[in-house]
Amino acid sequence: MSAATTPDGPGKRVLLYDASLRDGHHAVRHQLDGGQLRAYASAADAAGVPMVEVGHGNGLGASSLQVGQARLGDDEMLSIVREALRDSRMAVFMLPGWGTTADLERAIAHQVDVVRIGTHCTEGDLAERHLGFLREQGVEAQAVLLMSHMATPERLARECARLVEFGANAVGIMDSSGHYLPADVTERVAAMREAVDVPVMFHAHNNLGMAVANSVAAVEAGADILDACARGFGAGAGNTQLEVLVPVLERMGFATGIDLYGLLDAADLAERELMPAPPTIDSVSVVSGLAGVFSGFKNRVLDIARREDVDPRDVFFELGRRQAVAGQEDLIVEVALGLKAARGA
Amino acid sequence: MKRNGRLPVAVLGAGLIGVDLAEKIMRSEVLDCVMVVGRDENTPGLRQAADLGLPVGTRGVASLLDAPGPIAMVFDATNAMAHAEHAERLRGAGVKLVDLTPSKVGRMAVPSVNGTEVLHCDDINMISCGGQASIPILHALTQAHRVEYVEVVTTAASPSVGRSTRLNLDEYVETTQDAVRDFTGVKDVKAILNISPARPPATFRVAMSVLGEGFGTASVTAAVSAAADRVRSFVPGYRITACVVEESKVFVAAEVTSTGGRIPRYAGNLDIINSAAVHIAEQCAAVAPARTGTETS
Repeated sequence: MSAATTPDGPGKRVLLYDASLRDGHHAVRHQLDGGQLRAYASAADAAGVPMVEVGHGNGLGASSLQVGQARLGDDEMLSIVREALRDSRMAVFMLPGWGTTADLERAIAHQVDVVRIGTHCTEGDLAERHLGFLREQGVEAQAVLLMSHMATPERLARECARLVEFGANAVGIMDSSGHYLPADVTERVAAMREAVDVPVMFHAHNNLGMAVANSVAAVEAGADILDACARGFGAGAGNTQLEVLVPVLERMGFATGIDLYGLLDAADLAERELMPAPPTIDSVSVVSGLAGVFSGFKNRVLDIARREDVDPRDVFFELGRRQAVAGQEDLIVEVALGLKAARGA
Repeated sequence: MKRNGRLPVAVLGAGLIGVDLAEKIMRSEVLDCVMVVGRDENTPGLRQAADLGLPVGTRGVASLLDAPGPIAMVFDATNAMAHAEHAERLRGAGVKLVDLTPSKVGRMAVPSVNGTEVLHCDDINMISCGGQASIPILHALTQAHRVEYVEVVTTAASPSVGRSTRLNLDEYVETTQDAVRDFTGVKDVKAILNISPARPPATFRVAMSVLGEGFGTASVTAAVSAAADRVRSFVPGYRITACVVEESKVFVAAEVTSTGGRIPRYAGNLDIINSAAVHIAEQCAAVAPARTGTETS
């Protein structure tokens, strides 16, 4: 059964980018196994989800003590998902400084269709070399700015324009902390839309319960690509819930090309097979979103706060004050030790 | 080839690294900075070098080869892709190189670990800022304990990371990993680089995680603190900020602040690699023959 469309027929096409098998990894300490990857990728493919991203939560080459070691290596994850996808395109994510061109070469050998290069929102030039490499290789490259609440709309627009010059085929922002309210998103997406001629993407987190609303704001402001995950399976409070977003978009008159029943089946399978429980906005997730801290820090903060006997909410607010960015998990230990020492003093 | 008892050296590259290097060399009692070379005299780096009273060149290696006086040693502060060509042309002219790019071309040097073994090499590679900050500690830990895995996460403040470094992230990661493997003998090594945009800028730091067996608080703390003392003898702003010892895992974090120069305190990444390079160069100068000294004075 096809999702409902407006009486006027399908409206503007919105491309749904399914990050369940990448961002979801944050929620399960990067421990998805081959059977889980295969089952979900097949279900998403059957539903007609156009893009399926796979990998460690921080992308290619990121398996580490710093952010968590993955159960499977990148090669294994890519080869399993590649085999499971017939129509959906396979996507991977990479942060320069974590993965290298050698990782991109291996992903290309696995016939990856789309590569996303991520950088902190003010450091887009770190992606210059890798975007250039992907352009030379003829691989579709998207450039995404992480922790985008830490920069002004004007700055984000300038960074996006530069990323297009480096060779990005699409650009956009991640609300990595789940900090935005819809008006924040409208302003930023509109500024980026104005600055570039390539598709613009938006990736939400749900810390303040705004993921679907923010995604709607993004598409109304001109975004062409929206990220979402089955049951919101993702870091912290989770991402935009894919099987909610798609029918919402269809009701608004946008076309996604995704089959509703297939999508709901994939989401049910995800809840059953991939996660101990669907992400929820628990108390530390609210604090994390308010503090503007990377959602992927959650499990590590809880672990270390428990070990050092400090309040994880204090750890989040202090990390926010220090403006920690994605990848700086090593700061968590120091912040926790500092809080403990201050209490003892 | 010493002049007035000092070895004539030049700096190739006038970015953040090059200008700080020139300034450090000017403070040296055994090195004489005779030229700073960039590509455009209007760049801030070359203007700063000129303001310091140093002769400047704008034609890259050609400026060095045509220099009016002798140059015994060149610090390459350009980028990893360019170093091989620089090395070929300058070594042909009998010039010794100290390479601050992560090129992997020359012999890798960490002053407090193998400083005295590399002085005869004609191309000495300083690895990376993260390598200089972590290898002394990792070397000490692996000397005293059985180690299976090493991870090094470096964080540098955005304003302290210049364009060449931004283009050389792959080389940074690969060269740092190779160097850690070489110096520790541990095969399974991972290096990661974060660039922090925080304001005020975050102090340069390196976090090391080591997996192995039989770590004891006393032996680990002693090894880490002795290694840090050796680094501090030429990098005064080097300090250990965390050392967490578990039976099979050690976590050590070090911070480096820049001291004494014009570069900001947070830019310890520039300070540690430049201080290491100047330290090695000074030791080279001490063993260099003074035979041509009279010709040029």
